[in-house]
Amino acid sequence: MSQANNKNTGQWALTLSNNVQEIPQLNAFVDEVCEFHGLDPMATMEMNLALEEAVVNVMTYAYPEGTKGYVDISAQSDNSGLKFVISDSGKPFDPTTKEEVDTTLPAEQREIGGLGIFLVRKMMDSVKYEYKDGHNILTLKKKTNQ
Amino acid sequence: MKTTFEEKDGKYVMHFEGRLDTAASVQTEQEMKVLHNCEGHDIILDCAQLEYISSSGLRLFLALLKVAKAKGSKVSISGMNDNLRQVFAMTGFTHLFEFL
Repeated sequence: MSQANNKNTGQWALTLSNNVQEIPQLNAFVDEVCEFHGLDPMATMEMNLALEEAVVNVMTYAYPEGTKGYVDISAQSDNSGLKFVISDSGKPFDPTTKEEVDTTLPAEQREIGGLGIFLVRKMMDSVKYEYKDGHNILTLKKKTNQ
Repeated sequence: MKTTFEEKDGKYVMHFEGRLDTAASVQTEQEMKVLHNCEGHDIILDCAQLEYISSSGLRLFLALLKVAKAKGSKVSISGMNDNLRQVFAMTGFTHLFEFL
């Protein structure tokens, strides 16, 4: 893991490997960004959840099993809100095209997976995917009132 | 993340403590297996000390619910904080479980 933070400019960066055991480091990173931005505990939890789901998605699917890969996370805080950019050099994959989850189904019919990207969409105001220069780039934005 | 299992008044009770994120869910999945042998026992998931849950944790709860329902056991959740309630509401999990 490498981390570079600059509180003066409201910009942060973190690199993790494709190992879900590194998620607690992402959590500490998001907590720091949210604290700087002045978010309350509920909003901070929501940002943690969105980032965890998006990053776990990359850790799980971007690279072939058993190979090492990286996921870069950057954050930016300004007057309009928070912006997170998640990028990786794995296979092209657009998570925003996944089908919506039907949250009204009874337990017997609910699928065990598929909630990750659904939660990212719920938590964020905008979710944008692009594939550029061999990288998947997912941009998450959250507007905040300041 | 820590779990504790006990049998209380004929019910299987599991206490959850800490953050149930994707990193913790691997170990927690193993620890929850004892609940899958629930024939004749209702289940209570005590979440009073659970601070956070992501979809990996929700998946474990849903998997348990499916098994328990098929065996005729009820699964109830007690003591959730506001953050967890919010996640359960957003994902429709509020309709799936009973809450104490």
